[in-house]
Amino acid sequence: MDARVSNALRVTTPSDREIVLVRTFNAPRRLVFAAMTEPKHVRQWYGSEAMTLVVCEIDLRVGGAYRFTMRAPDGVHHTMQGTYREISPPDRIVFTEGYVTEGFSSGEALVTSVFTEAGGRTTLTATVLHTSRENRDGHLSSGMETGAGAAYDRLAAHLATMA
Amino acid sequence: MPTDPLSITFSALADPTRRAILARLALGETSVTELAQPFAMSLPAISKHLKVLEHAGLIARGREAQWRPCRITPTALKDVDGWLERYRQFWDESFDRLDDYLQELQAQEESEAKLKEKSKKPATKKPKEKNRGRKGK
Repeated sequence: MDARVSNALRVTTPSDREIVLVRTFNAPRRLVFAAMTEPKHVRQWYGSEAMTLVVCEIDLRVGGAYRFTMRAPDGVHHTMQGTYREISPPDRIVFTEGYVTEGFSSGEALVTSVFTEAGGRTTLTATVLHTSRENRDGHLSSGMETGAGAAYDRLAAHLATMA
Repeated sequence: MPTDPLSITFSALADPTRRAILARLALGETSVTELAQPFAMSLPAISKHLKVLEHAGLIARGREAQWRPCRITPTALKDVDGWLERYRQFWDESFDRLDDYLQELQAQEESEAKLKEKSKKPATKKPKEKNRGRKGK
């Protein structure tokens, strides 16, 4: 149970332009790196109960592009996409990340993912660096689109039946 | 149609274009003209959406005659902490799934390693038959 607690995801905003995600996994980093960079693996976990991964393309080389598209319950598609800047398995990967949805696209952020291994466990530290504070806060607000948006739709539909 | 503030807010949010406008405004205050650009929509169409959002108290518009800047009303929406929470939730769920998947991968690798070990040993029989024989023991 203790191990589980210390494995839990931590999200912090150490500066105006950054979001940092830290998560520990009970697996060697060689595996964690592969699971996060190979489509056959990524398809198994990326997304959530509500968000279905419908496109998963990875061209894993410096300058190569990736694209993950998810479909929300309301049928709206949400895409995370970018290009790889640095690939050093199994300890480091750097890529750009942009968010695109119907009629809207965000600015690009630079993501640096570092994998450290100790005692067979791997800690991932992903630093998302935005070009401005406004872009970072916009990124945080994208959760409103993906999560709460659908919930509001359902709630609104429900409210309509009550009227 | 319900006219209480909560219903008005929810019906204003129950539209992908209006949510996209809010997401754009989360990046900062802007003019209607600028706002209309990424949406491939006419100015009157955007203005109509803005009126709905303004009526719901989700955005505020400046009173300057020429340049009426639009901005998100902080009180009508959750603050950055609330957004951060949703962002966290998405990754939390994804990483939990990754956690389970990594366990599967490791179990798979272990059993494959065992099979390799077995096939390394000199055997006259095919591995499949050998396994069958072992099962019987």
